[in-house]
Amino acid sequence: MLDKVKKRKYFERSDEPEYARLPQYDAPQKNRYGKVIDLAAEDEKLKGKSLNINGDTSVGEHPNRYKQHGFYFNADNCISCHACESACSEKNGLPPYLAYRAVGYVEGGTYPNYTRLNISMACNHCDNPVCLKGCPTRAYTKFAEYGAVLQDPDICFGCGYCTWVCPYNAPQLDTEKGHVHKCNMCVDRLEVGLKPACASACLAGALDFGVIETRPENREQLATQIPGFPTPEITHPNIRFQQTKTLPREMTRPDAIPLRYERDDQGQGGFKTKLRDIGKGKCWNLKKLLSSHENAHIAFTLSSQTVMGAFLLLFLGGVIGVTPFNSLETSSSFIPLLGSMLVLLTFGMLKLNLHLGRPHRFYRGFNNLRYSPVSREIAGVSLFFAGLVGFCLFSLLKGELFNSLKVISAYVAITGLVLGSWYMVKLYLIPARPFWNHWQTATQFWGNTLSLGAMLIAVMTSLVSGLVDNQVQLQSLALVALIGLAMEAVGHLFHGWDMDRQGGEGAASQYEQNTTYGTSSLLRNSLLTTNLIALVTVSITGLSGYVGMAAGCLLVLSILSSSIISRALFYVLVIPTTMPGAFFWRNKGFQEHAQESGLANMPQVGVLPKH
Amino acid sequence: MLFGRLKKNPIKIADKPVVEWKYTTCGYCSTGCSIEVGVDANGEAITSRGVGSADVNRGKLCLKGIFEHELFRSSGRGRVPLIRKRFYEPFKETSWDKALDHSASEIKRIQETYGRDAFAIVSTGQIMTEEFYTLGKLARGVLGTNNYDGNTTLCMASAVSGYKRSFGSDGPPGCYDDFEHTDCLIAFGSNLPEQHPIIFWRLKQALEKRKFPVIVVDPRVTMLAQMADMHLPITPGTDVVLINSLMHVILDEGLEDREYINAHTSGYEEFIKIVEEYNPVMAAKICGIDEDTIRNVARTYAKAGAAMSIWTMGINQSTHGSDGVVNINNLNLVTGNIGKPGGTSLSITGQCNAMGTREWSSCSGLPGYRVLEKEKDREDIAKFWGIDPEFFPKKRGLFQTDIFPAIETGQIKGLWIVATNPMTSMPNTARIRKTLEKLEFLVVQDAYEDMETNEYSHVYFPASIWAEKEGCFTNTERRVNLIRNVIKPYAESKPDLWIFNEMAKRFEQGQKIKFPETTEGVFDELRQLSKGRMLDYSGMSYEKIESHRGIQWPCTEGAETGSPRLYTDGKFQHEDGKAKLIPLIFIDNNERPDDDYPFWLNTGRVVEHFHTRTRTGKVGNLNKFSPTPYMEMNPDAAKELGITHGSYARLTSRRGDAVVMVQLTQRVAPNSVFIPFHFHECVNRISLGLLDPHSRQPAFKQCAVKVEPATDQGTAAVRNKAARAF
Repeated sequence: MLDKVKKRKYFERSDEPEYARLPQYDAPQKNRYGKVIDLAAEDEKLKGKSLNINGDTSVGEHPNRYKQHGFYFNADNCISCHACESACSEKNGLPPYLAYRAVGYVEGGTYPNYTRLNISMACNHCDNPVCLKGCPTRAYTKFAEYGAVLQDPDICFGCGYCTWVCPYNAPQLDTEKGHVHKCNMCVDRLEVGLKPACASACLAGALDFGVIETRPENREQLATQIPGFPTPEITHPNIRFQQTKTLPREMTRPDAIPLRYERDDQGQGGFKTKLRDIGKGKCWNLKKLLSSHENAHIAFTLSSQTVMGAFLLLFLGGVIGVTPFNSLETSSSFIPLLGSMLVLLTFGMLKLNLHLGRPHRFYRGFNNLRYSPVSREIAGVSLFFAGLVGFCLFSLLKGELFNSLKVISAYVAITGLVLGSWYMVKLYLIPARPFWNHWQTATQFWGNTLSLGAMLIAVMTSLVSGLVDNQVQLQSLALVALIGLAMEAVGHLFHGWDMDRQGGEGAASQYEQNTTYGTSSLLRNSLLTTNLIALVTVSITGLSGYVGMAAGCLLVLSILSSSIISRALFYVLVIPTTMPGAFFWRNKGFQEHAQESGLANMPQVGVLPKH
Repeated sequence: MLFGRLKKNPIKIADKPVVEWKYTTCGYCSTGCSIEVGVDANGEAITSRGVGSADVNRGKLCLKGIFEHELFRSSGRGRVPLIRKRFYEPFKETSWDKALDHSASEIKRIQETYGRDAFAIVSTGQIMTEEFYTLGKLARGVLGTNNYDGNTTLCMASAVSGYKRSFGSDGPPGCYDDFEHTDCLIAFGSNLPEQHPIIFWRLKQALEKRKFPVIVVDPRVTMLAQMADMHLPITPGTDVVLINSLMHVILDEGLEDREYINAHTSGYEEFIKIVEEYNPVMAAKICGIDEDTIRNVARTYAKAGAAMSIWTMGINQSTHGSDGVVNINNLNLVTGNIGKPGGTSLSITGQCNAMGTREWSSCSGLPGYRVLEKEKDREDIAKFWGIDPEFFPKKRGLFQTDIFPAIETGQIKGLWIVATNPMTSMPNTARIRKTLEKLEFLVVQDAYEDMETNEYSHVYFPASIWAEKEGCFTNTERRVNLIRNVIKPYAESKPDLWIFNEMAKRFEQGQKIKFPETTEGVFDELRQLSKGRMLDYSGMSYEKIESHRGIQWPCTEGAETGSPRLYTDGKFQHEDGKAKLIPLIFIDNNERPDDDYPFWLNTGRVVEHFHTRTRTGKVGNLNKFSPTPYMEMNPDAAKELGITHGSYARLTSRRGDAVVMVQLTQRVAPNSVFIPFHFHECVNRISLGLLDPHSRQPAFKQCAVKVEPATDQGTAAVRNKAARAF
């Protein structure tokens, strides 16, 4: 075994003040969620291992090394002096455009009876680290040492899924560097008995750190929530609060998110997150809608769903023998159709891959099949792709053997299809993103699979063999598309109602849909309605002649447009259950303004210019 | 490992290859935090931290200190001297010799043509005490101009003036340790969490140990106001009325410290006559604080065993700033709260070395709290410097805020600006632009060549910054602390001391006077000149200062350490050894809101920025918290005007207009708006800055403006962006 090397850390010093040292209070056996606080209690083997920080192979000697630690935030005291976040950014050498810890606030009351409640938040090193479970590359580890949830940027491929699932905006997607990084609990400081840099820097007696479920000296509460903080039920975060001062009944955020926090009518109990109508008018914002960071996801989901839908119909026709799709394999449009499917799916997968911060690490996408829906989606879609390639290849070759291989490939592809499209939906069912966390995601995705798949077949067959070749088939395809669009439409209806009823972030997303993108979403709804009527007509009457051709073309364009707008709205509207920002920092509204006005071109503004 | 990989990768956390920690004192505000700067093997500064054993900050730093090492390599630093004939021509790079020679000859030309006082010097609170003293020696002893003052007129002049009027001398009598002993604290127009975060921390620490009432007087609901037990949202500019009325209650109810008044004060008879007029019923109508609250505060303060007052710009930057300070002193004199632990009148100073310039720069007189008006003081200094006492004027010349109008009207033709940026910091920017245009010669000496005043200079001297140099700062509690040299000066920039010394060599009289080359050599002169005086430095040395992490003056020769408090024996610096109780009547000369300009405009500081952002505007991790100016406005008022959160508004005053982004918040009154003063071409385009009659400090905090939505948001955004070079 290698000799343990203990390196003196640059921050160690002889005159370290007492407040910066890790305290030793008695902690209960279990936390309030019933989890054992001593993380190595059930497995002695976890003890005595080095964290190998920066080549230091020694083992920290703190008696509480294996106990779950967490932050303690006394909201009564925070003054928003930014010392915690600055100490963090300085220690971790962070660029101005991102931070592991941020102070936001909510405010309420009427002058001079006004209250501002500041909230300093970083990673909560949760009992149930959804980031870790969601990460397809297994870049995350929850350590028995201090219960720290650490992320390794060298493994990360920059998909940003952890930033979607985390309710606290802890992991930061660094689009410049192409990977995520986040709070590391300053485990290097912990190993020498010091509190993290942020807690040591606090100037107001607000932020502290220690074994979870222990109270620092002079503190009264061990609460799990304060207004603005998302429900702890999602992840069981390791943070405890004090908030004893009376707050106004309603608190609002200084950032652009239309949310407020309100006590019930008696002024009792906790705060509920509610929509804040800020009097926005209906706008188009089409450019903003179609130029978001998530465009790659629009391209990938729509194109893969189209191909999956088309393949499903081919499979039903060719392998199961469902009429009228059984004639597709023998038609002259079969090979061109397969070609178009391959091209489309390749395009979608390429778009998705290129949107990764580190596209060359794409193969790591399968690393976390055990927990991550993203890994499973990638596996499913890859299986589908492999099956589809086989199916195409063996369709070109004649002979019994190749025919069998073709059928096998078809089954492989259909397995991938089922898995892929299941997890493609599953991965969006994120509790921290209420707008997505609804069955509408399934009806939209699967509905589009049917509508766009059927449409692709219709377009390809019409291009190759002309419109009138097979009216029955065309009508059947129209029916399939109709079912798909109907699914989508029903989903939208219920989704809208549910979001409004739910309140909070979902309602805020819905509010944005009706205001910031109000006209665009109205257009989508009109197109969708028109498409439904048109498809009913086509499935009854079919299409013929030049008029039919023209109408068909219009219908295809209309379905495409509504699907693209729908999908873009899906991505752009989501409002996570995250911490409130400040007026400038972590305010999406200011970030967009800085990008549009050119202020973002100065790096010290702390907003990256739009690429 | 609980979840995740079986085989763990080594953990990588940003590591800093510090080979040496060097001791310095923070160069931003006057709190005076000790900082260690970590230096790597190449001599580059790579990290900062508070000194654990320093009494002031006890290991803590505010965010500006945390990133202070980034200053050395921040953008906009001046590399080489620059020169040009006319301010509208482009600069040419030049050598130090040429720049200095040319400047010296221009100074001589102007002084010979128009008289000695036609060349003025406006200095700062930013450079080291040794440099201030040397600049004073140059200005008073060599150039002999009486128009020499510092930008401290914008921040601390009222405190200085108030201390002098009450106690006979400048010098804050208290210290941070008073928080540990006080039984009641009133903060007048002081927002510690934003302006002096480390002093706030000291206060908070004291409160955690022992609760005592904290009362905050501020028109805005600051974080300190929220934290306070009582918040008095006063009508702007009426502090004198409030304090008169507090004293009225105290004296009326017999809560004063009669013994202290009799033993240590003078002027009581005249004083009581005025105070009697300000009963709470009458005062409430003027200052907006109800009479019950006034009585309650008065009783709480007077009955406390020890009570202290702190104040900052809320008092100083008023038309009656000096009176406000005097009245705070009056309050503490009548309650016997001067010079005792927990009982004090403590001005929370502004710049890192505002105290150093007050003590040693000769701006308002002669070094070591000496005055031009006293013959003995003139003779002492003339003898020490080896010049004729008659060379000194017998009366102090113009204040900084009067120097600019004197340029405007042609009495002053040449100006040397040292580490200050009047183009952003002075009220009424348009007027300052017109003023600077008129100068025949302007030399700007600053660490940043992109600071806005440089737009009008003829010569630019690139100065070294902070710990590129060595020397001392004095903080709010009179603590002299040391800045060790951490890193060599950037490019061809030079320490201010070197620049002053070089300039002196270019004058005949300068060659006769000794100008020590090292700061320690200068410090030795300070020790000699302060021996036996109130601000006694004679017991200090660089070594001793560093080992004590700062020493509070007076520190007499041979003394173990300094003195935490002044006037502990009740002896004051007036001739009779007593403090003066000065009666003050309320003069309502502010530009108050009216039908045309219906809002009070208030200005102030934000924690992430310092002064005109020449430093903090370049450090992304500070600047990002407010990268562009904003205005706090009450949402109820905004609704009536159709102004929305995050949009741009246009402000107009009798001076001009400004465009600013709006932040709606109930923190400000419906008839009041607040704009941080740090930003170029913003609030000072419209501010008035009426001058205090005693201190000549501008009333940045009170004027009247009109607010309307910016009609074209796009144009407003362009206009705002255009004013942001950093």
